[in-house]
Amino acid sequence: MTEYPGEWSSLVQAGSIHPQVLVIGLGNPILGDDGLGWRIAEQFRTGLQERQPASQENLARTLVEVDCLSLGGLSLMERLIGYQRAIIIDAATTQENPPGTVTCLPLQDLTSGEAGHTGSAHDTSLQTAIEVGRLMGASLPKDIMLVLVEAETLFDFSEALTPPIEAAIPEAEHAVMQILDSWIDRT
Amino acid sequence: MQRISIDPITRLEGHGKIEIFLNEEGDVANTYFQIPELRGFERFCVGRPVEEMPLLTNRICGVCPEAHHMAAAKAADAVYHVDPPPTAKKLRELLYSGFYFTDHTTHFYALGGPDFVMGPDAPVAERNILGVIHKVGLEIGGKVIQARKYGHHIVEIIGGRKVHPCTSIPGGLTKGINEEQRQEIEQIGRWGIDFAQFSLQLFSDIVLGNQGYLDLILGDIYTHKTYSIGLVDENNKVNFYDGKVSVVAPDGERIGKYAPSEYTDWIAEHVEPWTYLKFPYLKKVGWKGFVDGKDSGVYFATPLSRLNAADSMAAPLAQEQYEKFYATLGGKPVHQRLAIHWARLIELLYAAERIVELASDPEITSDNFHTVPTEKPTEGVGIVEAPRGTLTHHYKTDERGILTEVNLIVGTTNNYAPISMSIKKAAQSFITKGSVVTEGMLNRIEMAFRAYDPCFGCATHSLPGQMPLIVTIHDANGNPIEILQRY
Repeated sequence: MTEYPGEWSSLVQAGSIHPQVLVIGLGNPILGDDGLGWRIAEQFRTGLQERQPASQENLARTLVEVDCLSLGGLSLMERLIGYQRAIIIDAATTQENPPGTVTCLPLQDLTSGEAGHTGSAHDTSLQTAIEVGRLMGASLPKDIMLVLVEAETLFDFSEALTPPIEAAIPEAEHAVMQILDSWIDRT
Repeated sequence: MQRISIDPITRLEGHGKIEIFLNEEGDVANTYFQIPELRGFERFCVGRPVEEMPLLTNRICGVCPEAHHMAAAKAADAVYHVDPPPTAKKLRELLYSGFYFTDHTTHFYALGGPDFVMGPDAPVAERNILGVIHKVGLEIGGKVIQARKYGHHIVEIIGGRKVHPCTSIPGGLTKGINEEQRQEIEQIGRWGIDFAQFSLQLFSDIVLGNQGYLDLILGDIYTHKTYSIGLVDENNKVNFYDGKVSVVAPDGERIGKYAPSEYTDWIAEHVEPWTYLKFPYLKKVGWKGFVDGKDSGVYFATPLSRLNAADSMAAPLAQEQYEKFYATLGGKPVHQRLAIHWARLIELLYAAERIVELASDPEITSDNFHTVPTEKPTEGVGIVEAPRGTLTHHYKTDERGILTEVNLIVGTTNNYAPISMSIKKAAQSFITKGSVVTEGMLNRIEMAFRAYDPCFGCATHSLPGQMPLIVTIHDANGNPIEILQRY
């Protein structure tokens, strides 16, 4: 099990405090490597639950919720409403890196919102959707980070990940935790 | 041979690609619309219990999981030879109407609408829902968000979850609704009727009130005279959830109606060497190539074809709009493909009226929402109308209900041939010898298939970091002479 630094707690007994951070595993769990977002998010959730509870003070300001989704665009934006920060884990096909390469970047650095799960082409990009949401007065995260894993097998139905993706899960999971820790430090 | 490549297509589910080949004179010789096929779904399903299919198939597609959930549930009913009680059928249709309400709203305001509200020549950065809101007003954005929220809420109340419902099982549903929920849904439906009428008025003001747009819609560029198909009830009125598939010829004659179990008598699939995806066509008419006319088995399955294939709408306000639609466009059937956008809004109104009608039904809160299957499972077909076309699920099982064979014809696949024809015709109209290919010109070609609301292999997206539209124009020797791209 990955050792997480910092003061993090599981969501157990969250009580009336609304989670401030939403971690989303994005993708299609029955489409080969496209299911990596779900797998990493689920593993991350397990890791969180196995940790010792943090102090009440930390709990209040760092509550994390984990979800697995197959949404994009407006639907994804709607799911983000009410959180201060969010992390989205997804497959990437830049074809510039070998399969299994983990990359972290803020959503605003994604050069096109018409791409990928964040931009269900049936409605709009996540960036555009967030602009729409903010225009409408929705409370949306001030920080959205993407944790991307380069994948190659995305068109074959399967519940299994290919070996390079499977091997990248601990690194991606650790990357999610590091982002959370950087947010603690800034809080 | 010169070549123009549009790859991938913006605002289209799945990674589509258009190849345009020019001849020596610089005119369009041919076009090819290609999409990557998702592989192995049938193999993935075989060996699983059929009752898993309503949950499994709604993961095929990120856009219309509710449609797959419903088609799978109906096919599973048929496999078990069980007829769900009336309350179950009504609740499923109520859920489905909520889904339609969200889906059609999204298409009009985020996808198809920007072409008209902002105009085909507007910069791509403005030709989206944000542009629409800025142009028409903040109030519109609020209504769109509210409409989506309401539609999702109906799905959640009946389907147990937003977007990916989980309550349909062979013989009906796992849960019903109570009086409080019924009232809430009815109120949503009444709000929805106002919203749909508002949207139709917006379309009327912006599109029908603009002679340039009317000319575009009514002109020959976006017109194809093919067969129309769509589900109809026993009175030949449009129905999204149940009934028979009505087949109407280009001249308006209904050549027949088929029950789900008869689909293989009516639909066959043509194979082309340049694409993995097959082209469905009407078996009784035959495949004659990518051509219009009564002798060609090419058909389309969209909101417009559903209106063409029916005699009327099963709701009074939608019926008024239906009559206005055909009176304005010169009678039935309508073949102008850009009119699909208008037909979609009439269906939006119908969905809202249907929500109110079903939520007002005395049976809707009954506890009799499931019939326990007692017969041995064998084989079954389920058909619903997905927003973007007729959706057919066909399953065979062994006597334990374990799947041995699966066949799906998904909504957009029905339209593969007509979309290909529409792209070619638009390309031939807008790209002629010596013309400089502009952004607006390319968008007009994209508009040809955007009207169909296509969705190929939806939930396949990964993050490439960018999804550019790249158009490369090659000279007669194959050398690139101009590259246009947008991000």
